[in-house]
Amino acid sequence: MPIRGFKGGMLKFLSEDDLKAIHLATVEILSEIGVKMEYEPALEIFKDYGAEVDFKNKIVKIGEDILRKGLLNAPSAFTLHGKTEDTDIKVDPERVYTIGGSSALNVFDLDGNYRPAVFDDLIKLTLLQNKMENLHIMHAIVIPSDIEEYGVDRLLFAGAFPYTSRNYYSQSQTGADGVLEQLKMAAVFQGSEDAVRKNPMFTEVVCMVSPLKHEKVNSEVIIECAKNNIPVYIEVDAMPGGTTPAPIAGCLVEQNANVLTGIVLAQLIKPGTPCIYSIASGLMDMTSGGYSGAAPESNLLHCCTAQVAHYYNLPFQGGTGIDAKISDAQAGYERAMQVLSNALAGTNFIHLSFGLMEMMMLASYEQVVIDNEIMGATYRMLKGVEVNDFSLSVDLLRKTGHGGHFLNYKETSEYIRKNNWVPKITNRDSWNTWQLIGAKSMRDLAVEEAEKILKENTEPIIPEDQTEEILKMAKAYHKRAQEKLKK
Amino acid sequence: MSIEDIKKELYNNVLSGDFELTAGLAQKAIKEKTNPMEVINSSLIPAIELVGEKFGRKEYFLPDLMRSANAMKKALDILEEEIDKSGIERKSQGKIVIGTVKGDIHEIGKSIVAALLAAKGFDVVDLGIDVSSDMFIDNIIEKKADILAMSALLPITMPYQGLVIEELKKRGIRDKVKVMVGGAPVTQEHAEKVGADGYAGNAVDAVKLAEKLMKE
Repeated sequence: MPIRGFKGGMLKFLSEDDLKAIHLATVEILSEIGVKMEYEPALEIFKDYGAEVDFKNKIVKIGEDILRKGLLNAPSAFTLHGKTEDTDIKVDPERVYTIGGSSALNVFDLDGNYRPAVFDDLIKLTLLQNKMENLHIMHAIVIPSDIEEYGVDRLLFAGAFPYTSRNYYSQSQTGADGVLEQLKMAAVFQGSEDAVRKNPMFTEVVCMVSPLKHEKVNSEVIIECAKNNIPVYIEVDAMPGGTTPAPIAGCLVEQNANVLTGIVLAQLIKPGTPCIYSIASGLMDMTSGGYSGAAPESNLLHCCTAQVAHYYNLPFQGGTGIDAKISDAQAGYERAMQVLSNALAGTNFIHLSFGLMEMMMLASYEQVVIDNEIMGATYRMLKGVEVNDFSLSVDLLRKTGHGGHFLNYKETSEYIRKNNWVPKITNRDSWNTWQLIGAKSMRDLAVEEAEKILKENTEPIIPEDQTEEILKMAKAYHKRAQEKLKK
Repeated sequence: MSIEDIKKELYNNVLSGDFELTAGLAQKAIKEKTNPMEVINSSLIPAIELVGEKFGRKEYFLPDLMRSANAMKKALDILEEEIDKSGIERKSQGKIVIGTVKGDIHEIGKSIVAALLAAKGFDVVDLGIDVSSDMFIDNIIEKKADILAMSALLPITMPYQGLVIEELKKRGIRDKVKVMVGGAPVTQEHAEKVGADGYAGNAVDAVKLAEKLMKE
């Protein structure tokens, strides 16, 4: 059975009128200012569909007609495939899922050291995250320092894809060739390239830079994904006040123009290409110019963007890393506010929500386990409250009368088993009991849990020989990318 | 307006970041036959230094800093032109070639550093984003730059800073130019690893670093 996530969307900051105003402002920007696209074939495609294209300045102006046509073809519901049927997820603009951390340079390891990440950390952190029941999509959580970086995405694929049962969230740093090489690596497990195209077990992301710019590599990846039926997260990474206007409304307009351009491009190439409206935007901290994903303003922005994406009936990826350096009170409050607000706002993919700290620079083993706990509590909130004859329990109340209790009833036992969330590393004992069992902090328990999982899980999910074959291919692709760079 | 009033206004406008007026004030100062060097030293520099201090104390925010730098630069351009015309040898702070490295399209951090350097009197050649090794090096040679400043925001583009430094060595000009590196994921260790002469964690420190490198 595929996973069908809980439904979010009860938290709304914007009114219908607000959303309409954001849409109209976006139409004005797209049709009158346009978007800069560095990749000429992308400009050609827009021109073929009747958009006004200035080839000299590489600007495409997208009229409302083309925008509507593109959006009409963008699917609102599709399946993302894991390696087993029970890891497939049913995506739509209501259900909420979680994506793991991505692209940190350093790790906070289980011995309490802050150090550069290596390839072995990628495998271990993937195995660890794979055991987290609240995680639905796997990213490569670190970029290992022991690999030359250009074309590193091929080796990230080899270090993550074989070690997770979940759909793998990939990226291609070099453009179309990366997508095709990853498709070949997935085919080692899936049997053939056509099997991958039919039920791809990985997706790609493109990251646009604001304001209103699509780099060559982004358009290349979008086009290649559309051609091969690979779902694509079309993401903009805005910094309000820096790369977009400071007001959240202005940022929403810029993001919208930017992302919708990418989605329309994918639909013009191949109608029906699964696209996820995505952001990893974060407040620009005006005392330093730095990025803050966990600022309340960032959470507000993400919640509002969920509403904008849903206005077009598109699934939405929001959420980002937290700013804390260790798993302290700051980490707890930042993560909880971020994932809870996003879940309630109906962010369909809460992104980077496992282990990612220090403005996406750090992956923490213990925080992975802590975040799974916070996510569990969040999903319990999303599950909400059922009101029906059974849950109203009038007959039980009548039966019990005045005084007495409900602990003896089978209904009680069944209800709590079905509905209540059982924490794993949250302590609800009294001080004295807590002392008796060792007075361990949540961090201590998280470290113990991570150690236990890593001791028990060392093998890839897919057969050993396929894992080796993928690694061999990745090394060859990486070498080729390196040679190309040096030329 | 007396020359003292003009100088005071310049100081105030740099401090408040009202960049619409500073060019006009600088022109007025020149009409009054004031020594442009004196205006720079007594009005503009104290103002921009106070701006830097306020930013450090979190009294001023990034947009304030940028606007003040812009106000300073507009006055500076006019005063420096006058100094050049008068034939007095103007002591430039130094010439800097700056850009975000190849494969990286992140602009804003680099642009903040470029604006502050220009405000402090450096000649800044901003090559923009996605800058190749050849483009950096050709500009260093052609413009006779004192300093090369490279930005990288992506972990995956950081090593390119090292690649450019290697290329400088191959072309035999590594000792002709100081190299500074920056960008969110960049660290002192990375700077040392790739063989840069310095690293700064923010734009204000980057200006201090450039001033220090010029003295070496």
